[in-house]
Amino acid sequence: MREQDIELFHRVQNKDEVALELLYDRYEKLLFSFSFRMTNNKFLAEEAVQDVFTKLWSKSLPYSEEKGKFSSWLLTITRNACLDLLRKKKSNDYELKERDALQEDNDPSPEETAEWKEQHEEIQHAIKELKTEQQEIINLFYFRGFTQSQIAKKCNLPLGTVKGRVRLSLQHLNKILTKKKERGIRE
Amino acid sequence: MMDKQCDLLLDYFNGHLTNQQKAAFESHLKDCPSCQEELKELEELTMDLPYASEPIAVPDGMKQRILSNVKDDSQIENKATFDQTDSEPGPKPPIKPKRTWFKPFMVAALTLSLVGNGAALYYINEQKDDADTGESFSVDSMKEAYTLQASEDIEAAATAMMIEQNRETNLIIQANNLPELKGDEKYQVWVLEEGKPFRAGTFVTNQDGKGGVSYTLHDMKERNYDTIAITKEPNANSQQPQGDILLSSPL
Repeated sequence: MREQDIELFHRVQNKDEVALELLYDRYEKLLFSFSFRMTNNKFLAEEAVQDVFTKLWSKSLPYSEEKGKFSSWLLTITRNACLDLLRKKKSNDYELKERDALQEDNDPSPEETAEWKEQHEEIQHAIKELKTEQQEIINLFYFRGFTQSQIAKKCNLPLGTVKGRVRLSLQHLNKILTKKKERGIRE
Repeated sequence: MMDKQCDLLLDYFNGHLTNQQKAAFESHLKDCPSCQEELKELEELTMDLPYASEPIAVPDGMKQRILSNVKDDSQIENKATFDQTDSEPGPKPPIKPKRTWFKPFMVAALTLSLVGNGAALYYINEQKDDADTGESFSVDSMKEAYTLQASEDIEAAATAMMIEQNRETNLIIQANNLPELKGDEKYQVWVLEEGKPFRAGTFVTNQDGKGGVSYTLHDMKERNYDTIAITKEPNANSQQPQGDILLSSPL
């Protein structure tokens, strides 16, 4: 039986190498793909994944089940690791242009779970239904991790309206997703 | 009536606030139900977004590299400067704000002193930082020079020079009398902007305790670095300072 994430997490916190590898295998691809989406650079993405597992291994982390799903928590840590790296690399004038290097994925791992695949398609479709401006604002805010004033500048919006636009775009996306799910159930 | 603090929610979520701003925002957050609600909403509405990422193939050998680095890391006793909250989900800025290694008051007390005599520039062989771009070296003009002050109980001395070269700023560090490094330990130079550290060169010392590094500060003009500091780190990879400041100077 597949061991629960939470058990693996506790074993990793207790320096269990077998558990570390199991947890790594389970999340490697998701975390790397997400980190690549965030940083647009495979070296930074690898560094982010390493930062996440270094934390899991060598620091005592306050995860418990009341905080929600382990995967969501792990993805939040991953996003923060990416934002952290992006901020630092900015100081080295790092040019993050690597879209062309996006590799075709010919090797879906067994752990590329149905959950990811299903969610991926759902969200991709939902995002495409948003207006371009809303897609862009979600991209800048969530994936690029821009500051409020960077978003204002980039989207040519008054600073005071940025927060409202971000909320609205996310709410809109969520509505589309919810509708899709309801339809999915009926069909 | 919207508090001005409420406007910082997005930057808080993305970890862009300075330590001070973050503390102020968190104290505001406790008393502002609308911010609490918006923050919760942001967390919920973004929860599924990571899954929008295209699955891509991981680089060859990544697993081996990461797992061995992760295990190596644990062999080094980390200093007890780790902030327990830094990895909690939610809007924890990745720049660990509660770190105590950087003590502004200490740096503030230091006096800037110029090295007037254009001290002999020389290249130090132990240069280790990949990011350095020091192959061809021609001095254009020295903009500033600083003498770093040693922290209490530290005997070491160091100078930092900013050299304008090809319209970029090269930071040259030269240090003497540093304690011997053990294992993978490295000396790491940091430049700080409002308490946020940025890597600015890594070096080791020779048997006489001397060492140095040259580092190109590409973004000197956009940034407002206020401090330079040297710490001893467990290896060359520290993205955040783990050791105490040994030497520092205001910029």
